[in-house]
Amino acid sequence: MVRVMVVDDHPMWRDAVERDLQAAGHEVVAVASNGREAMARFPAAAPQVVVLDLQLPDSTGVQVTSMMLEHDPTARVLILSASGEQDDVLEAIKAGATGYLVKSASSAELVDAVTRVADGDTVFTPGLAGLVLGEFRRIADGPADDPRDQLTERETEILKMVATGMSYKQIAARLVLSHRTVQNHVQNTLRKLQMNNRVQLTRWAIEHGLDDRP
Amino acid sequence: MDHPRADSALAVEDRLYSALALVRVVVTINMVALNAYRRESFSHPTLALVVVVALVVWTGFAIWLYGRRSTRTPALLVADLAIAVAAIAVTPWLKSEDFNATIPGFWVMGALLAWAIHWHWKGGLVAAAALSVADLLPRQEIDQGNYGNVFLVLIGGPIVGYMCESLQRMAHERDAAEHAAAAAEERTRLARAVHDGVLQVLAMVQRQGAAAGGQWAELGRMAGEQERGLRSLIRQQDTVPTGSGGRVDLAGALEAMATAHPVRVEVATPGGAVLVDEHVATETVAAVKACLDNVLAHVGAEGAAWVLAESAPDAITVSVRDDGPGMAPGRVDEAAAEGRLGVASSIRGRIEGLGGTATLRSGEWGTEWELSVPLA
Repeated sequence: MVRVMVVDDHPMWRDAVERDLQAAGHEVVAVASNGREAMARFPAAAPQVVVLDLQLPDSTGVQVTSMMLEHDPTARVLILSASGEQDDVLEAIKAGATGYLVKSASSAELVDAVTRVADGDTVFTPGLAGLVLGEFRRIADGPADDPRDQLTERETEILKMVATGMSYKQIAARLVLSHRTVQNHVQNTLRKLQMNNRVQLTRWAIEHGLDDRP
Repeated sequence: MDHPRADSALAVEDRLYSALALVRVVVTINMVALNAYRRESFSHPTLALVVVVALVVWTGFAIWLYGRRSTRTPALLVADLAIAVAAIAVTPWLKSEDFNATIPGFWVMGALLAWAIHWHWKGGLVAAAALSVADLLPRQEIDQGNYGNVFLVLIGGPIVGYMCESLQRMAHERDAAEHAAAAAEERTRLARAVHDGVLQVLAMVQRQGAAAGGQWAELGRMAGEQERGLRSLIRQQDTVPTGSGGRVDLAGALEAMATAHPVRVEVATPGGAVLVDEHVATETVAAVKACLDNVLAHVGAEGAAWVLAESAPDAITVSVRDDGPGMAPGRVDEAAAEGRLGVASSIRGRIEGLGGTATLRSGEWGTEWELSVPLA
């Protein structure tokens, strides 16, 4: 059983997601229809997983993601978006979300994604994998950074397979790896992306004199 | 053609007049100094002093008047030029009949440039002609120096006027472009809100339809198709290329082709536009379409396919995978040996025609084409 919070401004969706999760035996500890409500209810509800719509009336899913993870780094954020605006999705992932699903996903896919995200796994769609590959390419073409920020050949290979719709199971079979190893590689790509984002933010803050150092 | 003066054009005019104010100060100092240096040549030094002082006072007054839009009137411009012409005209009486330099000298530049700024090349030409006539008429003989000055004024006046007009027109065009961009951005923002709502409903119909089964499932499937189409359309809109010179967005072109294809295709792109030469885009999209046609032929319309576009500074790579049964190892070579590689060779042919490579892999996980095209 996973403790879940659902944040979506469409009541129709909130109810549908809530029903599906409850039917699968999960506990919906809180719902919210905008960023303000979400942040007000998040601390007391202490959900393991937040199912978050990217488009909220008062703030973006990206902002809500960073605020929640700042408050509780052990929480997991699963983005559930209708349009899949590329920039927003990538920003939310950089801000720390570990899963992304389009709203047309089936109930079974949603429930599965929530369980996996709660276990610390990452949920990628092919589209997101393509965006992440593109982002690492932009990082590689930019100024030279710590090589640890770059994807290894294996990680790139696996991410490409995710981007062409292969399941972890298929990838594991094709590369003769364990399912767990494939999962770890995919998780590493997100970790590197988020680390890189923090490095960029820090650098930006220092360049603009916003750091706390005297 | 006279454009209505927009704010931007007026702002350009403001800047040009402030630059002109500086020029006026310089040519006035020059005029005072030269007349002081040549004071011996005046037959009526007192009157000449009055004229010079009058010109200095007028310069100050003119700078003030030109500095404000409300007093920058045609009457001011006419008065400015009339004073310059008059100052030239009185020279023979204040000096001698065979005078060499006029009293105002280069000072007349102020009026000439003002006309060029306000009435563009026509203004520059009229002012230049008036000043030239005033300068040449009283002279008994015209030497090379006089001719040179007049020639330069007649050429320079219209040219400066033409450039001022161009500057104002460019400012006007930039304003129009900025306005259009702002309007387009607002439209996109509104469209996003509308699209988001429509996508929510389509996704919901798809989800509930599948759960209800029967006829509703069919409705759900149709909603799903529309949803994918709309999402892809929005992504294409996001990546409309701003570049010119025959470069087009490959990511958008792949999305458009894939959306229209009968096979269910999911396209993954690096985000943003992938700009390539139009020829490269056309051939690559055609090759990818051939891959998808192949899926349709071997797996059928219920088959699923994925397209991944990657972009590096020196190459683009497009991978196309399907989840069909795949081919037994060696079957491709076998088919090639038997001369049965029609589709495959058309894919290879297009990509190799672009100087790239097309690699085919197959296994239990399906079949995958990797098309790699170098960018010149």
